[in-house]
Amino acid sequence: MNCAECRENLVACVEGLLDREESLQCQAHLETCAACRAEYTAITRLQQQLAARGPATAGVSLVNPVMRRVQAMQTERERNPIMTKLFTRWGFGLGAAVGATAVMLIAFLVFPKAQATAAEVMTKGAQAVAKLTSIHLRGQLRTLPADNFSYINADCPFYTIEFWKQSEPDLKWRIEKPQRVVVMDGQSAVMLIKNAGLAFKVPPSTTSAFDTDWLQQIANLSNTITNELNNAIANGWKMNLAEETGADGRAKDVVTIEAKSGLPDNDYLKNSFVETADTRRVYVFDNQSERLESVKIYLHAALDDKLIFELDQIDYNQSIDPAVWKLDLPADVSWWQNEIQKLPDNDKYASMTAEQATRAFFEACSQENWIEAEKFLRESPVDHLLKQELGGLEIIQIGTAFTSNASPDQFVPYEIKLRNGYNKKLNLALRKDQPTGRWFVDGGW
Amino acid sequence: MDLTDKEYVERCRDGHQEDFRVLVDRYQKPLFAYLAGRLRDGLQVEEAAQESFVRAFLSLKKLRKPESFYSWLLGIAGRVTKEQLSSLKHRQEDCEVTESIMANAADRQEDYPLEEAIAALPESYRQVILLRYYEGHSCQEIATRLDLPLGTVTKTLSRAYAVLRQELAARERAETTVNQT
Repeated sequence: MNCAECRENLVACVEGLLDREESLQCQAHLETCAACRAEYTAITRLQQQLAARGPATAGVSLVNPVMRRVQAMQTERERNPIMTKLFTRWGFGLGAAVGATAVMLIAFLVFPKAQATAAEVMTKGAQAVAKLTSIHLRGQLRTLPADNFSYINADCPFYTIEFWKQSEPDLKWRIEKPQRVVVMDGQSAVMLIKNAGLAFKVPPSTTSAFDTDWLQQIANLSNTITNELNNAIANGWKMNLAEETGADGRAKDVVTIEAKSGLPDNDYLKNSFVETADTRRVYVFDNQSERLESVKIYLHAALDDKLIFELDQIDYNQSIDPAVWKLDLPADVSWWQNEIQKLPDNDKYASMTAEQATRAFFEACSQENWIEAEKFLRESPVDHLLKQELGGLEIIQIGTAFTSNASPDQFVPYEIKLRNGYNKKLNLALRKDQPTGRWFVDGGW
Repeated sequence: MDLTDKEYVERCRDGHQEDFRVLVDRYQKPLFAYLAGRLRDGLQVEEAAQESFVRAFLSLKKLRKPESFYSWLLGIAGRVTKEQLSSLKHRQEDCEVTESIMANAADRQEDYPLEEAIAALPESYRQVILLRYYEGHSCQEIATRLDLPLGTVTKTLSRAYAVLRQELAARERAETTVNQT
């Protein structure tokens, strides 16, 4: 292969698309030609820069919020051209508290009076906590101890979930369930799944990471109002306001929002996460201080609504022990890989269907071939919990993959017999939205 | 087959506002990456991205070159970022956290020229780069989706890389010159 041919095939070579003979010729030329080697290095360096964009933006989903705002503005622009300029600025251009007021004004235009009054209570609540230096939330969630922060299951018992956040002198936060904890110490967010000894790191520091958005939003009322009202306006969610006397004898304003996920009832992930559930959210504000005092979330069920989350403690502006911002990791921790490398035989894996990948993964576990199993995982080395659970399994059957509107994953039904004799029937979640193009297990084992 | 940016912009202007959804879907990830290079706070990035798209929608009629939609969107996002940082500074003048965010934003300015360089690519090159790296498709999947031979996809990628490298090098030279003067 000469220089011209090598340059012509360089990208295909880097992408692993050449056949074996062409690939060897390309490699041989690169070993002898410094100029082409420099070109190869420059391309791979640029590719690395570009490849970092995928994981960094994987969860971005702006289409619905933007279209809701666009549609609400368009409707209002047609109704009242004078308000158009206000609509273009309600995001944050006027500052958080004033922005919240603008949202309330829109609520008055769009909602009946009772709902607009509920929006006013929430807006005042946002203004009452606009200059917080710290917040600590403690609540109970029906969930599994090590599962996602937003995972809910009406059949599970309650587990404690806690959230600490300080905004000064620098932003830090921590969220903890019994077996899952994430700490953002100002530099990066690190999450540890304790029972698996598995850790994840997300640089740089952010106000939310992993699936902690719903809790972050409760702590950021101004944002909650924007989101809840945007949704209410676009989707016709109901909001109500009631007045009650609290246990402390003081008057309370109770705002109830009926939230709809928009997912069909037969969607696999419906009601499995806070964001994918149809819920009734009850916010209680102290009438005098106007501050949020408690939150309850009920899951809509066929027979009766079931309480799945109760926020029963909110501490405003209290000093937080610096130890909260430290996370001790086990010495033998497995790390989730942000950047994954192509395998020498990557094509073999990239060409698999989700069902084939499921079978290959379980076969590797069956043989306790953890080097092979790791090719389907983003953690390295394979964590001990997975080895303990799946080592020596027997495959009974693998079904046909299906999808959910709430996730880019494909779900493959499976039945396996574990070494302890237990027959496990579940759906393995897999995704391939990264540059190597091969399937990775995203949960469900 | 997907329409071009120009065609979608023209359809939105003609009253098919629902088609703006496609443009948001097409550019939300690179816009997010661009803003994440300028703002530290994930919530601010999301708010700025939403605000940029909404302003773009409201100003679509003013866009002179519909084929340059993404480049124009980045210009809007740049202004939104400045407003946001200035608003933050104004609101919290005596707060150290503001300085930290401003300093951090300044430190991270090396991150976003890549998105500007992508915006400067011809649309056919940009489309392949976005599908490959922001949507995570393999070359084969891109070939299927765009109904192109695999070889055309790799050649397009190769040309896109070359243009991106030239663009990044030119920006680096320009920045070095500014820093020296």
